[in-house]
Order: sequence, then C-alpha cells, then structure tokens
Amino acid sequence: MEELLPLNLLVRGQHALIEHLVGQSEQVHRLEELGLRAGVPVEMLEPGIPCIVRIADQKLCFRDADLFSVMVRPGVAS
Amino acid sequence: MPAESPPQTLTVALLGNPNTGKSTLFSALCGVRQRTGNYPGVTVEKKLGHAEFHWQPFTIVDLPGSYSLAPRSPDEMIAVDVLLGRQNAVDEPDAVLCIVDASNLERNFYLVSQVLELGKPTVIALNMVDVARDRGMTIDVDLLRNRLHVPVIEIQANRKWGLEELKQALVDTLKVKQTPPESPFPELFQAEVTKLETHCEQEFETPLPRYLVERLLLDTSGYLSHGGIREINDSIQTAISAARQRLAGAGMPVPAVEAMARYQWIGQLLDGVVQRPSSRPKSFSDKVDRVLTHRIWGTTVFVLLMIFLFQAVFWIAGPASDLIDWLKSHASNFVAAALAEGALQSLIINGAIEGVGGVLVFLPQIFVLFLFIAILEDCGYMSRAAYLMDRLMSRVGLSGKSFIPLLSSFACAVPGIMSARVIENPRDRLITILVAPLMSCSARLPVYTLLIGAFIPSQRVLGVFGLQGLTMFAMYAIGIVTAVFVTLVLRRTILKGATPPFVMELPSYKLPGLGIVLYRMLDRGWAFVRRAGTLIFAVTILVWAAAYYPRYEAAENPSEQLRHSFLGRAGQLVEPAVRPLGWDWKIGCAAIASFPAREVVIATLGVIYNLGEDEDEQSETLRETLRSATWEGTDKRVFNVPVALSIMVFFALCAQCSSTLAVIKRETNSWRWPAFTFAYMTGLAYVAAFLTYQIGSLFVG
Repeated sequence: MEELLPLNLLVRGQHALIEHLVGQSEQVHRLEELGLRAGVPVEMLEPGIPCIVRIADQKLCFRDADLFSVMVRPGVAS
Repeated sequence: MPAESPPQTLTVALLGNPNTGKSTLFSALCGVRQRTGNYPGVTVEKKLGHAEFHWQPFTIVDLPGSYSLAPRSPDEMIAVDVLLGRQNAVDEPDAVLCIVDASNLERNFYLVSQVLELGKPTVIALNMVDVARDRGMTIDVDLLRNRLHVPVIEIQANRKWGLEELKQALVDTLKVKQTPPESPFPELFQAEVTKLETHCEQEFETPLPRYLVERLLLDTSGYLSHGGIREINDSIQTAISAARQRLAGAGMPVPAVEAMARYQWIGQLLDGVVQRPSSRPKSFSDKVDRVLTHRIWGTTVFVLLMIFLFQAVFWIAGPASDLIDWLKSHASNFVAAALAEGALQSLIINGAIEGVGGVLVFLPQIFVLFLFIAILEDCGYMSRAAYLMDRLMSRVGLSGKSFIPLLSSFACAVPGIMSARVIENPRDRLITILVAPLMSCSARLPVYTLLIGAFIPSQRVLGVFGLQGLTMFAMYAIGIVTAVFVTLVLRRTILKGATPPFVMELPSYKLPGLGIVLYRMLDRGWAFVRRAGTLIFAVTILVWAAAYYPRYEAAENPSEQLRHSFLGRAGQLVEPAVRPLGWDWKIGCAAIASFPAREVVIATLGVIYNLGEDEDEQSETLRETLRSATWEGTDKRVFNVPVALSIMVFFALCAQCSSTLAVIKRETNSWRWPAFTFAYMTGLAYVAAFLTYQIGSLFVG
C-alpha cells in the first residue's frame, strides 16, 4: 500500500482512492455533497493549484485551504 | 376531457443540481410564458412559468440549481421554504419535479434522497440519457423505478424529447398516492429526530415539518437554530446538543452521518442499475480540455478570447453612439422647431432627450458583452475561464468564481454585482461586490474618449503602441490594480478569515442553446435598463434643473446662467477642494453633476464651457473648446495633460453611480456597504487624482 498524500500532489493521469477529508466538519460536509468523499476513486487530470480531477464521471476544479485537505491513497485505478 | 369541474392549476417545484439542463427543461416546458421577480428579503430570483397538458394548467416554480437541500443561509433557505409551503410568495407545490443528470447519478441522487424525505409527490426527470449512452453507460430505468417507487422519466430537454410523458407523470401524481420511501438514516438517528419533533410540537403552536427538524439536528453551521427558524428557543437548543452528543457516542457524528447515510442509500439504490464500461472512452470534452485548461495553451486562448470580446464591444460602441447622437440631434431639432424657447423646451432637449440618449448609448455594448458571456457560460467555457483565473484570484484571497461578476462589470456594475450571487462564500461575494464598481464600465468610456482625443498626442511609443491607446489601457488597468489593492486590504482588515477550500464543477461542453443565451442576455441587459436606466434618466432631469434654476435674467450666454445656477454655485463652493487636482470651478461643477450618474459629465462640460446644447465626446468643437478654455480673468489654459489625466483618474476610481450603490444596498441588505463603497472609492479617487496632477505637473510645468 502506498503512503497517504494530499490530492494536489498526484501527477497527471495518476489514479488514487480518497481516504479522508481533513478539515472543519461544515466544509467537509459541503464537499461531500459534491461527491468529493472518502472511498471514491479519483484521477488527476490537470495538476497544479487549483487542480482538475475526475471523480465518478464529473470533472471538478479543486483548491485546498490552509486548514483543509483531501488525503488520497495513490495507485488504485478506477 | 370529461365535463368535471375545471382542473385546478397544478403547482410544480422544479429542482436539480447545477449543469443538469434545468433551465433548458424549464424553457422547454414553459416557452416564453415565464415571469421573474425576487423573493422578499433575499437575493434569490423567483422564476415562475406556465404550461399546459391536456387542459391541465401548470405553474412551474424554478428553484435555484443546488447540490443539496441543506440551508445554511437565507438564500439557501428559500428552496426549502418553497418546497414545504412555508414561503408565502408562491403557492405550496403539489408535486416536485427533480431533474437529474443520467451520466452522474451518484451525486445527483444525493439531492433526490433529500427531496424524497419531504414527503411530496415526486417525479424524476432523467436528463442527458444520450450523454450517458455515449459514454458507454447503461441505465436500467425499470429497476430504478421499482426500487424508488416514484416515476422516473427519461428525457432530453434540449431536444424536447420525453416532455409529454413527463407532464403525464406529473398529472398522475395527483391521482396515485405515492408510498413514502424509507428514510436513508439509521434507526437511532430517526429516533432522535422523532424525539426532537415531539419536543418541538410541545413548544410551538404550529408543528415544524419533520424535514426541518432533521435539518435542525444536522445543521452544525448554526444558521437554522440561530434565526433560520425563528421559533427555536433555549430549551430546544439544549435538546439538540444533547441529541448530537448521544449520536456522536453511538458512532454517528453530525453532520458526517448525513453523507454516510445518503451515499450508502444511493449505493444500494444504484447497485445493478448503472453499468459502466471497464475502460472509459475519451470524450470530446476531454480532448478539448487538454487544450483549454492547459497552462500555456489554455491561457493563450483565454487571453485571445478576452481581447476579441473587448474589441467587439468597442467596435459596436462607436457606430452605436454615432447613431444615437444622430437620433438625439434630430429629436432636439424637432423639439426646438416645435416648441417656443423656454423652460419646457430646455427640459425636453437638455433633460429628457439627453437622459434617454444617455441610457440608450450603452445598450448595444452591454448587450454584446452579455451575449458573449451567455454563450461562453452555456457552452461550458466559463467554468474553465474561472479555473484559469483562480490561479491569479486566489493570490489576492478570492476564487475563480469572482471572475464572471467582475468581467460583467466592465459593461455595467449593476448586472455584474447581481451576478455575484453565484459565489457561495459570503465573504468572497461581499468583496467581489465591493470592488466590482472599480472595473471600468461603459459609462466611463465617453470621458476617456473625449479627454484622450483632446489632450493626448497621437504618437507612437516604441514604434508599435499608440500613446492614446496606451492611455486608455492605463485607465482600465488603474481600476484593476486598485481592485487588487482594495481586496488585499479588505482580506487583511475588516474581512479577514481563513480561505475556504474551493470546489467547482466543470460541466461537459455542449452547443449553447439559442433560447437560453438570448434569455440571459436580455435578462441582464434589462437589469441595466431597469435599475440603471431609470435612475440615469431621473438624474439627468435633476442635473438639468440644477443648472437651469434659478434663472439669471442678466445672463448673456449659457455660461453666465450656469455660474448663477444651483450647480454653478456648488461648483464655486468646492473650488478650493478641487484646485489641488488642477481643476477650475467649472470642472468641479461637472464632477458634482456626475456623482449620481457619471455619464452626465460630457453634457455638463458642454454647457459649462459655453457651447450650449448637444455636445458629445466625438465632437471636434467640444475638444477645441476644452483645449482653448482659460482660467477666468487670465489667458492661462485650464487644461493640459496632467489636468486631463487627473480628471480621467478621478472618473476611473470614483463611485459616481447611484444605481450601483442602490444595487449594493439591495444585494447586501444593508446601507453600510454602499456607504463604505462610496467613501473608499471617492477617497481613493481624490488622492489618486491629486497625485496624478501634482506628479504630472513636475514633468510638464
């Protein structure tokens, strides 16, 4: 198993599994409503800040914050 | 149709995630029979449409696109209140129509699971089945229907396909009673909701709908218990905290339990319903995005698009203003011939015609800019532009979502400020509203054109750039740079706080729908006419009166009259204050007159410098007159390059638009923010004009 890392450190085309969302529960809840949640496979399409990822069949533009990040476990292809 | 009593109008609430084709469906169902307004006290657009099916009339309430029915602000509360019949501005819906994107059912059903808990008859419109099919997905709609126990209708809103079946299903909801689905939540949680529900029943006169009780338990933002639901008292607060503690102890922390429960429910619901291909085919959108979101190519395309957009706006602005000037002069001549000289003639020529012309002259450019924005939005490009701009905007503490409101503000800040509603974060939205008036709107253009044409020499710099063009660019840049500066200061002082994470959906590209594009363009253009236009017109009349009265019978020319009018006296009063900017009292007059609406300045300058009526920025005579104007009693010229620049900088930064201030009041629901905007912009404008003149004079003088 690979190490956990923040979502925005994935390289272009890399697949990963979202492990957990770290941050204030209100913000976590909002992101979960958009489909960004634990247990979901994610693919990095355009790295950088912000980055573009694919989750399920949607593209999301994402930028984390000082007290918020999405931790992923790389290597799990969807 | 059997001759029973005439069918009652069926009220249907239309709801769905953003980018699911909800507006397309609404237009397809209602055509042009739609009305828009506002819900009282909030900044949510109230959109009602009318449709008919086999003599059955419908009223469709289009609710704002949303990922979830979890209100955390008054704006988000509207949808829930409408659905539960707690909003007096619309009838309680008889049924809910929930539109979902077939290619992304997992996320869309989050909202559906909330809607089903409301206990209203529900119909689900499965849109974009074609897109899902193209992606190689198969959806077993019958299985989905059987599991959900509510009608699921496949549609393609953009082709108006499946609408008859959809309307039939809506009519049928009144005849067939739907069995309420099971709650997605674990039993312990449901028991806590019931307990709280009973508690509320004892405390309140009218019972709170169960959905709201559940939300009360889930809403950790504190919005609902602190004002969102008025009746909440201390005893209920205590009960909520106790219930949350018990739930946390049982491994169901609030609010995480909601996402957990709903996604689990969705997983079971869709298991076997959706089949995805093992390998994902590369879609058209993916290929386009490789270019358009590319760091270099994407940025290049973006910059070219923006240049093209502004070129188009300028290109239309010239001929349009010529045409309107032509109309204005003909109308004025006609009135001058038909009416005797006097107050009425002057009122019509200098007040009414000038006022209408002053509004009309901006319409073509505003429509062109909003046409482009609407096309880019509807085809899906705008979210890519917001992604590209987020890199820049996040550095000053805003997000890419502020881009569209700021871009619109280059046409007119009024619709620009209104489009800041798309920004969910309240602080980002407020900052965007406060800096939007710094973007150089179309009303500043005539001032720049006149003064640049008159005082900036037409020569080349470094062989390629025209000096006049560069000056124009500098005026736009000064607004942008000031906006960046103001944002940075606000984020570090009165509006500080941690930056929230930023998430934005990038929808698939599609051909823009003609109806939607035209509707959005007209809607925003109309916002300008209604909010700005009426005010500009009224203000022009007021300024006319201030310059016309009191009458000075001994006046030998219009300039003499002006000196003795209310406006002229005010100008002389402020002269000591504007002298450090290099202005004489006449420029002071023009600046005062343009505080309610800045475009008045051209006409006022024309009158003040003794030309009588009907001047415009293209006019050679006005340019000539300004060039030859002298300080009173001397032969020293009033205008030189530093003076012209100081006026332009003042107009670039000053809050000279009462419509903008009125819209800020409306959107922020407080007088504090328009007052703040007025104070900071006017203060900055004065200081910047002072520096421009003083520093400029060192070089020229």
